[in-house]
Order: sequence, then structure tokens, then C-alpha cells
Amino acid sequence: MIPIAHYLILGGLLFAIGAVGVIVSRNLIVMFMSIELMLNAANLAIIAFSRSLNLMDGHVFVFLIMAVAAAEAAVGLAIIIAIFRNRETINADKFNLLRR
Amino acid sequence: MPDYNLRIIIPEIFLFCWAIVVILSDLGSKRKSPQTIGYLTMAGIAVTGVLLYFFRGGISFNNMFQSDTLAVFFKVIFLGSAFMAVGSSFGITNERIKNHRGEYYGLILFSTVGMMFLSSSSELISLYIGLELTTIPLFVLAAFYKDDKLSVEAGLKYFVVGAFSSAILLYGLSLLYGLTATTDILTMKINLALLFLKFGKIGPGFILAMVMIIAGIGFKLALVPFHMWAPDVYQGAPTPITAFLSVGSKAAGLVALLRIFVNGLWSFASDVMQPLDWGIIIAVLASAAMILGNIAALRQTNIKRMLAFSSIAQIGYVMVGVVAADEMGVTSAGFYMFIYLFANMGAFAVATVFGDQTGSDNIISYAGLSQSSPLFAAGMAVFMLSLAGIPPMGGFAAKYMVFAAGIQAGYTWLVILGLLTAVVSLYYYANIIKTMYFAPGESTIRINPSFPAKLVLLLGVVGVIIFGIFPGPVLEFARETAGVFGF
Amino acid sequence: MLEVVIFYLSALIAIGGAVLMIAQRNPVASVLYLIVSLAAQAVLYIQLSALFVGALLIIVYAGAILVLFLFVIMLLNLRGEHFEGQDQKVGRITKYVLSGLFFIELVIIVRQLAIPARTDIVSAQTATDFGGVEPVAELLYTKYLFPFELTSVLLLVAVVGAVVMARREKSEKQGGV
Repeated sequence: MIPIAHYLILGGLLFAIGAVGVIVSRNLIVMFMSIELMLNAANLAIIAFSRSLNLMDGHVFVFLIMAVAAAEAAVGLAIIIAIFRNRETINADKFNLLRR
Repeated sequence: MPDYNLRIIIPEIFLFCWAIVVILSDLGSKRKSPQTIGYLTMAGIAVTGVLLYFFRGGISFNNMFQSDTLAVFFKVIFLGSAFMAVGSSFGITNERIKNHRGEYYGLILFSTVGMMFLSSSSELISLYIGLELTTIPLFVLAAFYKDDKLSVEAGLKYFVVGAFSSAILLYGLSLLYGLTATTDILTMKINLALLFLKFGKIGPGFILAMVMIIAGIGFKLALVPFHMWAPDVYQGAPTPITAFLSVGSKAAGLVALLRIFVNGLWSFASDVMQPLDWGIIIAVLASAAMILGNIAALRQTNIKRMLAFSSIAQIGYVMVGVVAADEMGVTSAGFYMFIYLFANMGAFAVATVFGDQTGSDNIISYAGLSQSSPLFAAGMAVFMLSLAGIPPMGGFAAKYMVFAAGIQAGYTWLVILGLLTAVVSLYYYANIIKTMYFAPGESTIRINPSFPAKLVLLLGVVGVIIFGIFPGPVLEFARETAGVFGF
Repeated sequence: MLEVVIFYLSALIAIGGAVLMIAQRNPVASVLYLIVSLAAQAVLYIQLSALFVGALLIIVYAGAILVLFLFVIMLLNLRGEHFEGQDQKVGRITKYVLSGLFFIELVIIVRQLAIPARTDIVSAQTATDFGGVEPVAELLYTKYLFPFELTSVLLLVAVVGAVVMARREKSEKQGGV
């Protein structure tokens, strides 16, 4: 039996990798995928907790989070398409028009 | 068979259906007068307010939907800010977003529905989804001028920050779920107490969860270390949406914070975990917000950026009430938000109308406004005085209440800091009044607001003055919300 | 024993996929690495007897959401110049240092996660259909009906929002994407 703590540490690592990806990457799409990875890390933690608590509420939580992620992805990608049409780039460093 | 008490959820259902009606009616009638659809939206919001009065109180959906006084109080604020945002949108829907009027109004209504659900949910899953339902339409609304580089960039920044913060919040919620084996906030409190009795400590997992939740909600509230996105997004987004963001979505963040912390965990955590006083953490964030917001606002030349920093500072004052976390604290935070609704929505309505008719968001352009359109300038002056907290405006009563709550709870240093920064804030609020009244006027364009914009301005002025002079009824209402927390 | 091997293997693939996703320059490769990482996570879900959600992770997440990413990348026809820029040395270094610090900090905190003793052991006996379709569905449609309905509202909102954002306006029909 693998202790639940191992799953949690894995979840934490994935979350941290995702967070670093958001900060480091310059490609909007990779940035956005890193956010998806963070959501999945949280999901993994919830599933691990559900198993150890012997409760299935967490499964419902994860199910609904997936739906939320789908909604977020649809809107986010639409915004990325809109900005690409507008600016011909998805390099996050280039979006700096909004300054005083 | 669980009891689904649909009666108390009628206002939300109505508003949701109304949003669909608005979108469809725009599709069906492209040639109709563009005003019709705006009035339709405003009527829908007003009817929802009436419905809210008749169908409230009680719980539904297995205790997951609560229509308690806290929820109703904040729903009034949400509906008010949506009403005023829609009312000041007529100019832009006539000109800039002709093709998507229905979607524009519909998304504002959807976001309002999300806020209403959020304020009513007493459980983490619905709270999280309610928060997403609040923000996802706002991402689109912020980017609504698709041909405008600034607006799309604002939408993108808001989206990245919003999605990032909701992932952080979610991780915090997942830890909380794991620790307490439940998603219901009240049960959570009980389970934490049991855990504490059993183990004598709660451990760092709980601290991590709390920090993540504060960070996640802090992004939504634009609390200070998490505020970087706010000025950019506020500047780029369509002005009525900026107004809606600064009032509606902040009120939503505040109610989430109150539900999770004051209701469930915070008071408990401070008692149990002596070394970590959560009040202090929020107090530090609040003081940072007051200092940074007010000082950064001093050097802004764009009215929307100035109001963005001002709203960061204003949230700092609200947090003084939240820090107190007692009956008076919650009352004053709610009351502050209520007055802030009128003053800030009013100020943004002025900026919207002015921007529509002169095409400028610069503060210098306001010079000479008192000559060309005296009533309009007087309205702006009232909002500025209220935001600065000058009697007899509502802002004074609100600041007074918040500071009194802070002193009562023993945060004297925070209140002194609040007073000092309020004095600083006087400078930039007064600067606008000075520009309007005393600076030599260059433009002589007479500002002529449309009827709904006039209505919004009137509502704002009347609200700020009436509730400043007679705060009694609202305060009483706000005090009832404190009852939800058992104070 | 097999269990331990499966766990460490999947964990390694999940982390490796995630790191490679960030390190890739080509966004299509990034998406594929994220799919690999998600597949490994789905194995872990199933190991934690979350069969239904594990299957959903593959079908919905990897199968639908990430394919949407691929579609968008294809639609935009991204080339190097669209997402590469010159390195601003100082900014870049601070970015890496900051994120490195953040990473280390988070790992330390998570390692310390002394979540009460009872979560350290997997409770041995679970119901035979724990995590199956039926019990999860039952919870979803009774206890959690409210958030479930809320999600349906959210999906409608997302449809409206995505259509508004991604639609090409009449005036900009010629040229562009």
C-alpha cells in the first residue's frame, strides 16, 4: 500500500510545476496549459483524499471541476484567438500596451 | 427524497431565463431600436430585485443554497451594480458593439446570476463554481471591443490572472476538503474542532490551505500583493465593465471571504493556532492595500487607472471591517460595500459618459467641465467627496463605521494608518474637483447623458447623500447579516 | 510490489510529461506531453479506485479539452515568430530565480504536510463499487444536484462567451485568420 502522502506530494509537485510554467513560459498557449496542469494537480489531491477518507464527494468535485475547466478552456482559447487576430502574436511579452 | 425548495431560488432562475431572453431577442430583431434591449435588461434586473424581496429566507438543495440575510444583502449590491452598469452602457452599445448587444447584456446578467449563486452557497463546490460563473463572463466582457488592442489585452490579462488564481484557490479548497472530510462550511468548522480535540494541533496543511484560499480570493478582490492586474484590466476594459468589475465582482469576492473565513474557519483558527493570528495577516494586507492604492493613485493621469488604484485602496478600508470579524465589523464591511456601490458606480458612470462623448479618459480633459455641464460636474464632485469620505456623503458614515469597528476590535494602528491614507486620498479626489471647477477649460463640449445614464447618475447621487444622512435602515439590514455568523 | 512499481512509474511519467510540456518550444509537442502526463495521472486515479473519474480524465480532459487546444494551434497556424522573442537577460534570470524559489518553497511546504494521522494510511476496505459510475452518479444527482445544475449554466455561458469572442466580424473578413 502506498501512503496517501505520496500522492499528495506528487500533486504538490505537479501544482508547483504548473505554477512555474505560468510564470516562466512566454507562449500563451503553454501558459494556459500550465494552468490546466495546476487544476489537475488539485484534482489528484482531491481524489487521493477521497480514497483515504472513503468518501466519494471528492469524485463529484473532480467531475464538476472538469466541466469548469472545459468552460474555462473554451472561453480562454476564444480570447487567445481574438488576440491573435488582433496582434498576430501569442508571445506574452508583447502584450504591454497597458501602461499609463 | 431530499427537499428541493425551488421557491427561494426563483429570483436567480428568473434572471437566468431573462438573460437568455435578452440574447435571443437581440438575435431576432436586429433592426429594432438599439435602446429597447438595454431597457429590457434593466427591467429584468429590477423585476429580479422585486422577486428577491418576495422569495427569500430559507434553505434549499440539501442545505447547499441558503437565502439568508447575508446572501440577500449582497444580492441587492450585485443587482444594483448590474443595473447601474447596464444603465451606463447605452452609449457604447449604440456605437462600438453594435453586433453583439444581446450577448453583452446577456453576459452581464449571467455574471450577476453567478454572483447571486455564489453569495448563497454554503458549500465549497457550489462556491467554487459560483465564483467561476461570476468571472468567466467577465473575461469575455473585458475583451469585448474586439478591434481595440487595449481591450483585448485587458481581457487576456484578466483571463490569465483569473484562471491562475482560481487554480490556486482550488488547491486550497482541496486541502480543506481533505482535512475536514466535508465540503459543507459549517460541518467543516465542527470537524476541525473535533480534529483539534483529537490531535491537539491542526498542522501545516491547514495553514497552507488558508494561505492558498486567501491568495485565490485576494486576486479576485485585488488585495495588495495580488493587485498587479487590476489597473491594466480596468484601463483596457469597456468602462461600464470596469465599474461592474470594481463593485460587483469585488463584492462577490468579499462574500466568499466572509462565508469561508468568518463563518467557518477564521475565528476558530485564531483561537486554536496561537502563533498564527489570521486577523493580523489580513490586517497587513489591508494596510498594504491602503498605502499602495492611495499613493499609486496620486500619480495617475488616466481617470480609469486612477479609479482602479482608488478601488484597491477602498477594498483596504473594507478589509478593516473584515479584520474586526465581529458583529460591528461585518456590519460595517457590508455597509461600506453598499455605499461604495453608489459612489464608485456613479464615478465610473461619469467616466463612461464623458469618455463616450469626448473620447478621452484623461483627467486633464475634465478641465472646465463645471462651465460646460454644471450638473454633470456636480455629480462627479459628489462621488469624489463620498469616495474621499467627506461628510455628509455616505462615504463618511461608511469610513466612520469601519474605523469604529477596527478600534473596537483592537486594531488601533490599522485605523490610524487608515486615517492617514484617507487624508492622502483626499488629494487626488480633490484634484479632480479642482480640475473640473478651477482649471482653465479647454473643451467646451456640452456633456449630454442619455436618459438611462441620467437615471444611473441620479441613483448614485441620491444613494450617496440619502444613505449618508440617514444610514439607519441600511445599517439595520447590514446588522442582520451579522446574525448569520452567530454574532 | 507491483502497485509500488506502477505508482512510481506513473508518477515519473506525470512529472516528466509536465516538465517537458513547459520546456518545449513547439506548442503541439507541449500539448502531446500534457496528454502523456494526464494519462499517467489517470493511472493513478484508477489506482486510487476512482474508476469513473479516471476514465473521464482520459475521455473528457485528454480527449476533448486538449484536442481543443490542438485545434486552436492548428487554426492559428502558429509559427516560431508568433511566440518567440529576444531574451531580455535580466528579466529572464529574475523570472527563473523567482520561480525556482517558489518551486522549492512549495515542495518544502508540501513535504511537511503533516495532515493528521488518519490520512496517512489508505483505509483498506472500501465498498466494492467505490468510485464506480453508479455511486458517483447517485451523489451527483441527489446531494450535489445544485452544483451540477450550476455547471450546466456555466457551460451555456461559456458557449455564449466563446462564440462572441471567436466569431469573425463582418468588417474584418478579408485577410487575417
